[in-house]
Amino acid sequence: MAVSKVVMPKLSEQMETGKIIKWLKNEGDRIQSGDILAEVETDKADVEMEAFGSGVLRKILVPAGSTAPVGTLIGVIAEPADDIAAVVSQAGGGAPEAAAAPAAPAPAAAPAGAGATEMASRPAAVPPQPRREDPAARTPAPAAAPTAPARPVAPALAPVQPVAAPSDGGGRIKASPLARKIAAQSGVDLRLVQGSGPGGRVVRRDVEAASAGGARPAVAMPAAAAGAEFEDRPLSQMRALIAKRMPLSKAPVPHFYVSSEVAMDRAWTLREQLNALEGQPKISVNDFVIRACAVALLDHPGVNASFQGESIRVFHRAHIGIAVALEEGLITPVLRDAHAKSLAQIAVEARDLAERARARKLRAQEMTGATFSISNLGMFDVTEFSAIINPPEGAILAVGAVRKVPVVGEDGVGVGRRMMLTISCDHRAMDGAMGARFLQDVKRLLEEPLRLLI
Amino acid sequence: MAKSFDVVVIGSGPGGYVAAIRAAQLGLSVAAVEDDRPGGVCLNWGCIPTKALLRNAEVVNLVQHAERFGIKVDNVRPDYAEAIKRSRGVADRMAKGVEFLFKKNKITLFPGTGSLKSKTTVEVKGSAGTETLEAKAIILATGSQPKSLPGVTIDEKTVISSNGAVRNEARPKSMVVIGAGAVGMEFADIYAAYGTEVTVLEALDRVLPVEDADASALVARLFGRRGIMIKTGVKVSAVKPGGAGVIVETGEGRIEAEQVLMAVGRGARTAGVGLEAVGVQLERGFVKVSPMMETSVKGIYAVGDMAGAPLLAHKAMAEGVVAAEAIAGRNPRPLDYTNVPSCTYCRPQVASIGLTEAKAKENGREIMVGKFPFTASGKAVALGETDGFVKVVADKATGEIVGVHIVGPEATEIIHEFAVGRTLEATVEEIMHTIHAHPTLSEAALEATLATLGQAIHI
Repeated sequence: MAVSKVVMPKLSEQMETGKIIKWLKNEGDRIQSGDILAEVETDKADVEMEAFGSGVLRKILVPAGSTAPVGTLIGVIAEPADDIAAVVSQAGGGAPEAAAAPAAPAPAAAPAGAGATEMASRPAAVPPQPRREDPAARTPAPAAAPTAPARPVAPALAPVQPVAAPSDGGGRIKASPLARKIAAQSGVDLRLVQGSGPGGRVVRRDVEAASAGGARPAVAMPAAAAGAEFEDRPLSQMRALIAKRMPLSKAPVPHFYVSSEVAMDRAWTLREQLNALEGQPKISVNDFVIRACAVALLDHPGVNASFQGESIRVFHRAHIGIAVALEEGLITPVLRDAHAKSLAQIAVEARDLAERARARKLRAQEMTGATFSISNLGMFDVTEFSAIINPPEGAILAVGAVRKVPVVGEDGVGVGRRMMLTISCDHRAMDGAMGARFLQDVKRLLEEPLRLLI
Repeated sequence: MAKSFDVVVIGSGPGGYVAAIRAAQLGLSVAAVEDDRPGGVCLNWGCIPTKALLRNAEVVNLVQHAERFGIKVDNVRPDYAEAIKRSRGVADRMAKGVEFLFKKNKITLFPGTGSLKSKTTVEVKGSAGTETLEAKAIILATGSQPKSLPGVTIDEKTVISSNGAVRNEARPKSMVVIGAGAVGMEFADIYAAYGTEVTVLEALDRVLPVEDADASALVARLFGRRGIMIKTGVKVSAVKPGGAGVIVETGEGRIEAEQVLMAVGRGARTAGVGLEAVGVQLERGFVKVSPMMETSVKGIYAVGDMAGAPLLAHKAMAEGVVAAEAIAGRNPRPLDYTNVPSCTYCRPQVASIGLTEAKAKENGREIMVGKFPFTASGKAVALGETDGFVKVVADKATGEIVGVHIVGPEATEIIHEFAVGRTLEATVEEIMHTIHAHPTLSEAALEATLATLGQAIHI
């Protein structure tokens, strides 16, 4: 029987390292292909990892609680009679002695860089196979045309990639092999290092400078008896990613903002009526906004667009990212083909996505591929705000709370429900008038909400 | 009326001619001033003619040992004068090549001795008179010349330097080579192959003192086996006429020989260039330069041997490119002086890059060492050239390629795999995952790298 290597799978475009939350199988357990081996925490979500080969889980190389780069050998599945010494000894990468002597107090950071040796064999574990029908829609900025047929599913192939493939907004972090190893050993996050080599490549001196300059996240201080003046909290994977990605949006993407106030009285009434129906899902104001945007985006493809450098990619489907706030950051699960879904369907799916986002149980493919995003801070009683575009998307809508405000009507001053919408647009892809016309349509759809039911 | 150029280059050795060509490529008008033939010491009196002589030495050796290949050759008559003639022919051809490249790149060659008259003026004294060149930028590339020991004059008759050695068609019966660096070892190889009784004296404790101790030890042993007398740790106190031609007095007695070859190093050629006149500063005898090769005077650059160690043609060429690009406002990448390969073309060849094992340890690095002998290389055995090894010194924690030392056939070609690797900051892992063609000498590079992790296959 073949020895199957279990490697840290690449579960999202941005994933560079993963943390084993827990092993669901122990060494010595018999494994059937398809069994859930472990739970892996990525920068985005917790994901169950399936076994790809059958046999006995002979060796766990990365214990629960430890982090390993994508592609690192984390376990070995083989028959009891198989010799796995050679496979296991490779796990140490540059220093096999360390791996062979588990007694040595190796840093918990796990074998760095070993993944590159795993190219030859087929991975023994892959993330759960996607159950959705449209793999093409899963890639955030697909190189293929939007209408192109299904590409191979990136997450399924990813585990065979060597460690040297951390990504940066969909692209590789350019770093020398030596820089990667020093970074792994000194705890420097390569995503936060400015490269000084050719084309911005991160080279050894950059990592050494970052290491010396304290760019690495400081280890959390032990609780001081007397209250410390401050504490340095280590960056969570998610926070590090946000910190890395947001300047990549705000600085190079010229944002412009268009705001509009929407009369939500009718939508409010309609929502109350719909929610009074028995056996129907509860619908939120945000579901109305999602539905309105999805419908309007089809009429305004110029807003449902991504600036591609040489061209502008205009999407003919509305995959809407819904920002969900978490303790440690935020995450934007994607509601696919929102334009083709009823208000009820949107309500059910959006709730499911949000709940699983909070539980960090999203599947990899549910976190990428949005063509437009919505961020709603209404629950915090925010009147209005503007959001930062999440590239490669071309626009994001910021939604405020529905407020009761005095409204001047024909018969005098009355009470009305109003909501502020602000769209942030990538000026490279679209202009103010386009954003305004789109917003006008969203407003009309919400103010005449029966249109959303048609 | 002074002629005006964007760049005037003084000296057309490897540093100067490369700088001139690169500057011309970048659209600058360029003049080159040369008091000898274009190509400098390297093409005319150094690297190239000695490589031709070394090839002769190699062929002599092959023919003498042809019986090992089952070929009986009688009446072998190596003719040293013919070797020199061939060597001159090779040098002439290469020098003409530089003249052609100058024409091709529309570089104006001014024969004569160039010197600085101001920060923007170069005076050329040639056989046809004196000319003045105006320059927006000046690149100094006047090179170096052989040094001697205190009180010993190089007359190029009984006491010769490499300059005489590549010219003299007469081969002495006996020779003392003072200095066991690359130049000394290469000429010892050449003369010995043609039958001269050679003694090599070295003041330091081993031959090729800048190389890894393992390389020095092996080369000394192999030279000794060929009948070359090697004496290390020997201080020469005097060299004077007498006996068969010259007597060398050392702390361990006197050695008589027909000729002495002085190979104790080279010094910058800075005299007569007019450096003082414009205030170009020196540092330990060499011109002080910035990473962009600019001297202490703005607009005046210096490259090659005169700009400091290592005194190697390939380092000079790389500096020439940097200087030309800096002048053209291209913001070039400065040289990485820790990543310059060092090559000695004696038999077997010696090539290295990075730190020796001893130096790495001295720097306090935790290292792992992998060594692979050519006796275990199929290609080397087939060639009948099994002397030597590849030795890789790598950082234990990161696998960084700290240094590589090769002794053996085509060592000077094999080294570049590691030069590229180090430029890209590859670690042993990347070398290990590079498929090396079989059978090649370069497989030894792979095996030595594998050996750092105890994973060599063929040993």
